[in-house]
Amino acid sequence: MDTRELVIEVRDLVYTHLRDTPFAVQALKGVDMEVWRGEAVAVLGPTGSGKSTLVQHLNGLLRPQHGRVRVLDYDLSDPNVDVRALRRRVGLVFQFPEAQLFERYVGDDVAFGPRQLGLSREEVRARVREAMEAVGLDFEGFKDRLTFTLSGGEQRRVALAGVLALRPEILILDEPLAGLDPAGRRRLIALLRRLKGERGLTLVLVSHDVDDVVLLADRCFVVADGRTVMAGTPRELFSHPPATLAEFGLRPPSIMTTMHALADRGIPVRRHCLTVDEAADELARALEGG
Amino acid sequence: MESLELRRHVTIGQYVPTGSPLHRMDPRFKLVAFVALVVAVTFTGSYLGNVALLALMGGLILLSRVPARYVLGGLRPALPVLLLLAALQVLLYTPEFTGGEGCVTLFRAWFVHSTTCSVKLAIVSAARFVELLVLTSLLTLTTTTTGLAHGVEHLFAPLQRRFGFPAHELALTLTITLRFVPTFAEELERLIKAQVSRGADMGGASWWRALRRARALLPIMVPLLLGALRRAEMLVLAMEARGYVGGRGRTRLVELRSTPHDAVALLLALLAAAAILTVPWPW
Repeated sequence: MDTRELVIEVRDLVYTHLRDTPFAVQALKGVDMEVWRGEAVAVLGPTGSGKSTLVQHLNGLLRPQHGRVRVLDYDLSDPNVDVRALRRRVGLVFQFPEAQLFERYVGDDVAFGPRQLGLSREEVRARVREAMEAVGLDFEGFKDRLTFTLSGGEQRRVALAGVLALRPEILILDEPLAGLDPAGRRRLIALLRRLKGERGLTLVLVSHDVDDVVLLADRCFVVADGRTVMAGTPRELFSHPPATLAEFGLRPPSIMTTMHALADRGIPVRRHCLTVDEAADELARALEGG
Repeated sequence: MESLELRRHVTIGQYVPTGSPLHRMDPRFKLVAFVALVVAVTFTGSYLGNVALLALMGGLILLSRVPARYVLGGLRPALPVLLLLAALQVLLYTPEFTGGEGCVTLFRAWFVHSTTCSVKLAIVSAARFVELLVLTSLLTLTTTTTGLAHGVEHLFAPLQRRFGFPAHELALTLTITLRFVPTFAEELERLIKAQVSRGADMGGASWWRALRRARALLPIMVPLLLGALRRAEMLVLAMEARGYVGGRGRTRLVELRSTPHDAVALLLALLAAAAILTVPWPW
């Protein structure tokens, strides 16, 4: 086999919320997933498909009821596994993380995690600085700003910094781009790419928006109705006909829909363009050729 | 293994439709029956009376067809407080305080004074707590919040006509409160998970370091309160935007209609309450 290191392995994971109550819901019915160090993996699927339940297993917030979850060297089925140590190495950023901010000053909020680790003042300061710069917030300019006067996008970056300050090896983000304006989305996408490229962070992104995913992910897992139904690179995934994708509550990226429409009208372009840039090149080629 | 599923323990404010006779009962009648039984629980201080009440609660749970384990699940979080309370009552309540004659001292040293009366008080209080919890849980488990609100409004309507008592507003407040209990639990769970994910140590500090424990709750309480205020504001805006006007002249989609069954059920509840209150329980 190849030399890459397998950092997350999920096998036949089953999970029922509120088990043994009248509100029991089987969220996961058999999910498989693996993630290698340094790659960006997206978990795609419609609302209610079990994506969030799946990722909450990856840092030990939920424990597998059936099946196996192994993250780094931790086996989550083992009741004695040190989840606190695991959570330091696997950062999980919830959906709308700005709702979890609580400190008056930005710097204090980012420092929450490192302080819990019992680090020295200097070390905490260094980590806060590093995390804030990583999310594009100037340390000197922002550390003493009032948390709740920041804009939504800035608050989200503060929350992200709060997790990065733990220096995780794996970063899991649940719908990181939800509710951001286009500029905020672009900025966050660039930021995540930089984290992966410069720091070698392994990324797991949960999303229901394919347009975001194709810009970020090396590989995708499609979860529908609690099961892994497709896996592959975005290009492999979206080579499936739109009807097949629709079966699992997915649609092709918007630009690909446009290219399908153009090709259907007899314009000689390749259909499977994932990004706008790729489509632009393809169109230029077609126009020059024609 | 820790479990972060908080909603598991929140049974008040949930509605579990099973279509049982208790579910079908007219909320107005159900509320009156509920009050009668609460009165019976409140004024029954004997062992046997509480045994009878516990049996009655068991019967009601069976009748509701809601799994007993679920109804009683709401007890779990209250258990430590109950035990502490019982211990204090047993150890500290002197005969002068518990009243009643024929108290036999079981143990006495320094300020600790246990008697048969204080033991009885502790056991009866615990039983009453369980009974009240079952009653309130059953009321919300078998009644939709709108049903409850309409019932309350109807029952207070005479007061409104006579004295201008704000019956509708009370009913609305009640609906909103009950409606948001599970939402809060959900949000609390989410916040705990989020803070734990960034290094928070929940329940890690020993219980005698109360200050440290209280401080550990800040990362949860602050966002929870902020969220509650934000949600309240949104609710007000949404109601204003739809031109909500409460009270007089407001019609309903579903009108409450009572049947003879409701009257019979209420009568049975009143009889049971009266019986438990009037029987001279020997001990």
